[in-house]
Parts: sequence; structure tokens; C-alpha cells
Amino acid sequence: MTIALPLAILWFGALFIALFDGTRKPVGYTAVGLLAAALAATVALGIDVHRHGPKEMGIAGWEAGVGIALRADMLGITFAVVSLVVLTTALWFEVSRDVKARIFPALVMFMGLGLTGLFFTGDAFNFYVFFEISMVAAYVLASYGESPRQLRAALIFIVVNLLGSVLFLVGIAAMYHNTGWLDMDRISVQTPMLEENPVILTATIIFVAFSIKLGLFPFHFWLPAVYTGTRPAVAAILSGALANIGSYGLLRFGADIFPRELREGAWVMLILGSISIVYGGVQAIARHSPNEVLAYSTIGQVGYILIALSIGGEAGYAAAILYAVINALNKTLLFLSASLRGWIAGAAFAVGAFSVAGVPPAGGFFGKMVIFQIGIDDGRPLIVALVFVGGALSFVYMFQLYRARFWINQEADEATTKGALALVVALALAIVLIGVFPEPLLSISREATSILPERAP
Amino acid sequence: MTTEMTRTTCRILLLPILMISVGVLVKGYADIGDGFSAGVIASLGIILQGVAFGAEEFDRLPLVRYAPLATFAGLFLALAVAFLPVVSGDPIFLHHPVAGDSATHFGALEFITPVLFDIGVFLIVIGFCVGSIGAVARETVRRERDRGAQAETRRGSPGAPAERGDRR
Repeated sequence: MTIALPLAILWFGALFIALFDGTRKPVGYTAVGLLAAALAATVALGIDVHRHGPKEMGIAGWEAGVGIALRADMLGITFAVVSLVVLTTALWFEVSRDVKARIFPALVMFMGLGLTGLFFTGDAFNFYVFFEISMVAAYVLASYGESPRQLRAALIFIVVNLLGSVLFLVGIAAMYHNTGWLDMDRISVQTPMLEENPVILTATIIFVAFSIKLGLFPFHFWLPAVYTGTRPAVAAILSGALANIGSYGLLRFGADIFPRELREGAWVMLILGSISIVYGGVQAIARHSPNEVLAYSTIGQVGYILIALSIGGEAGYAAAILYAVINALNKTLLFLSASLRGWIAGAAFAVGAFSVAGVPPAGGFFGKMVIFQIGIDDGRPLIVALVFVGGALSFVYMFQLYRARFWINQEADEATTKGALALVVALALAIVLIGVFPEPLLSISREATSILPERAP
Repeated sequence: MTTEMTRTTCRILLLPILMISVGVLVKGYADIGDGFSAGVIASLGIILQGVAFGAEEFDRLPLVRYAPLATFAGLFLALAVAFLPVVSGDPIFLHHPVAGDSATHFGALEFITPVLFDIGVFLIVIGFCVGSIGAVARETVRRERDRGAQAETRRGSPGAPAERGDRR
């Protein structure tokens, strides 16, 4: 299985789909099929990597360091699979209702390409290139719908995220300046030998850049405005697929390239994560429109990822990966099902709500439990208390939203099609399945940490 | 409105500019230049025609009409060069003849697959620059015409909602 196959499917597929009118159903379903094919290729690559270890491909046969390398390891593949699942579901969902712009399916595919590319690259600058491909697709997607409200949301999104991209580019330039390499492996070998101050500055810049993407507490200001303005499928894509850049970036650059700086900055991340959880939860309780509640909930949920990262070690990193995966699925399910009507949609939404609150048998329970367990094992009462408080807050706002959305207000704002219902039900079942059989996901996330150095806390 | 002098000069300049851009494209392997800069030079030459002759005349140029297709063709060509080696099990972007082998020369032009890749980039840049400027110019002309028609009828209708009209 070659690394190039998922990229080739997505790239040629996106180009092919862009030639046709995406508002027509056959074109939309072809795009869904191509995304699913790329997903299947990525899963096959994942099985191969699981059996034979990470794969590497030097572009044009140049060895790593001289040329640009594509690298596929479990960490990248896990995030690529989750992102492609989210994109396929969201596109299918939108196609089964009504696609409103001819370019929409092609854009979703281009975003899939950008995400898969950046999860598979071993070169810091190439990471930035793929990152920009997915961001450019996201900029256009944010304005999808083209009402004044969506354009306003898109403008905020573009301005803030361009700032984030520039910061990231500055960070890469600094890394190159400090180490003389763009290859991530070589940078991670070089950084421990460097003087600490410039590296800390670089690491901070990159941390801020990814925090903006994730919508972490002090950098969250753009997120509610954007999520409330966009359509449900786009909100699902932004929070379920695009936000993975942030979690993956923090893991790859934080845990892989700057492990020493990550350890020293652990208390900052702990504080920011805690504030994110409490702030997101309290704000979500105070809001009424579903997208706004879910947007603040997103801010709260990324706090857990940050806390898991600050704990570090194999357990901490595995918890961060697990939480990022489950959170992406939760948010996709919630954004999609909140826009539907009827008891089936209500039940699917309830599963997502349980998952966010961390109630078994939904998958979110294990995300919270892993962090809870680490808190107890390490004897850190603050983390245990935070998981409780965060869980209680999310329980309150999720059921407030459920009540407002499915009990009080019954009128449909858009068509509830059978296909859309089937999709959210499938997603809900998948989350329940993860909750009932968590072992595969737990072992995958543990395997994904195996490439990260300094796993011992 | 531009003068006859400007228009004549612009029209005369078009072919030399295109020639130079092809030169820059071909020279890229032995000298300064590549598909990107060649594309920028060529599209500036074409856009110059729009500046001199106005948007409507600009639209009539075949180069402008097929610009969006050039983007697709260029991206396809570049991707094909990148991904075709994978079929035979080589890493992506592997070029033929491979490093160390000698290539056939025709003046400054070397017959190697990266030239095809650069032609792809050249087409993408031309298609994008000319296509996007053309789209903006077309929209400006349309708005001016609408405004003129509105002033004529003296009934300021509040502008049709854009949401429905843009579906296709």
C-alpha cells in the first residue's frame, strides 16, 4: 500500500468533481464515493502500517533531509481517518438534503486532500502548504450559503485564521533558522541540542498558531461567531475535520519536535485548558441558539485535549489522541442532528449529548475516564475535579439544548430527509459502539504515541 | 477611454510578451525562470489587452474565454507528472530521465518530465490570473449596466436578493 494512493484519489477526484455542477445529485454522490474510496485507502494504509511499521516516501527518490518526505505513521493515519470520516459524512448529509453551491463537493474534497496531506507529511514547510490548501477550502466553505450572515462569519474566519497561518509560517521560518532543517525528524533531533530561549519562543509561536485553529480559551473569540453563521454541514466540517489540524499539530510539533518545551510549558497548558473547560461550559449554558451552544461547547472540549497534553507521557498523549478522535465525532453528530427534526434525530442528538457529557455507554465516557484515571493515578485532585465540573456543565447545557430543540421548538427549518437521518443514526451508533468496545480505539491511540519521543512523564 | 496610441502599442506588445514568457518557461532549467514567472508574464500581457480595450473586448479574446479550462488542464498535467511514477512503483515526482542520465537537448530546451510539470504550472497561473481578473471585470461591467438601467427607469428597486440567483 503506497502513501500516495489516498492523496492521488483526493487530488484527481477534487479536480474531476470541480469540472461539474456540484448541485446535481449524481455529482454529489460521486464526490461522496471518491471520499469514501480515499478513506478506504487510508484505512488499508493504516492496517499496513500497523503490521509493518511507519512508511516513508522521499519525493522524487531524494533521501529525507535533502528532499521532501511523505511519512505515514499511526498518529497521522488516525487523524486522517477521523477527518475523512467526518468529511464523508458531512458531504453525504448535505448532498442528501440539497447542495446550494456548485463548488461545494469539490471544496470538501480539496479540504480532505489538504488534511490528509498534512497528516502524511514529514516536512515542516510541506505541512504548511497542505495546511493552506485545507484553509483556503475552509475560507470558501465558511461563506457557503452566501447570505450576509455567512459572509460576515467568513470574513471573521478568514482574518483570524490568516493571522494564525502567518504565525505558523513565522514559527517554521524560526525553526529553519535555528536548526537548518525543514524535515521534522531532523528538527526533533536538533532541538534538544539548541539553546533553550529561541526554541521556547518558536514553540510558543507554533502553540499559539495551533491554539487559534483549535479555538482554545484566549484565542477562541472568532469561533462562536463563525459557527453560528455557517450551515450545519460546514460547522460539522470545521469542528470535526479542520480542528483536527490543531490537535494533531499540538501533538506533532509539541510532543514530537518540542518535547522539552512542552514539559516546561505544561503548567501553562494546564491553566489554559482548565479555563477553557470552565469558560466554555459556563458560556454554553448562557446561550440559546444551538450552533452557539455547540460552539462554546467546542471551546470547552478542547480544554481536555490540552490537559491531557500537559500531563504528557504515553498515557497523557494517548488520552489526547483518544479525546480528539471522540470529540471530532461528537461535534459532527451534534451539529448535523441539531438541524434535523423528529424523534430519530432527537435520539441521535441525545447520544451525542451523552457522549459530550461523558455518560456511558457513549464513547465520550472513555475520553473522560482516561483523563480521570490519570488524575487519580498521579494524585492530582485538580484534574479529577475539573473532569467532574466540566462533565456537569456539559450535562446541563446539552440537555438545555435538547429540551429547547426537540421538545419545545418542533418546527423544521429545513428538509429532514431519510438519508440525512440515516447518517446521523449511523454516526450515533458508531459512537455507542466505541463506548461499548473501546479497546480497539484505546490500543490505536496508544500505538499512535509510540512514534513520539520522551513518552515517560 | 484609452487613446489609439495605447491600444495599438498594447496589441503590438501581446505577441512579444507571449514569446518572452515561453522563453522564460523553457530557459528555466539552464537559467533564471520557471513556469510560475512565465505564467505571470504571459497573463500580464493578456490582462494589458483588457486595460487597453475594455472588459467587453477583453472577453472576446479566445485566450480569455478558455482561461478557466487552462487551470484545469494545467493542474491535471502537473498532477499526472507527479503521480504517474507511482504506477510503476517509484516515488511520486520521480523525473525521467532520472538524475545522472543525460537528456536530449533542443537549444535551451531539455526534454525531461519536469518541463511538463512546469508547463502545467504555467497554465494554472495563466488560467487563474486571467480568469479571476476577467470575472471581476465582467461583474463590474454588469453592475455598471444595471446602474445605468436603473437610472433610466428612475425606479430604485432594492436589488434582487443574491442568495437565490447564485445557485448555479
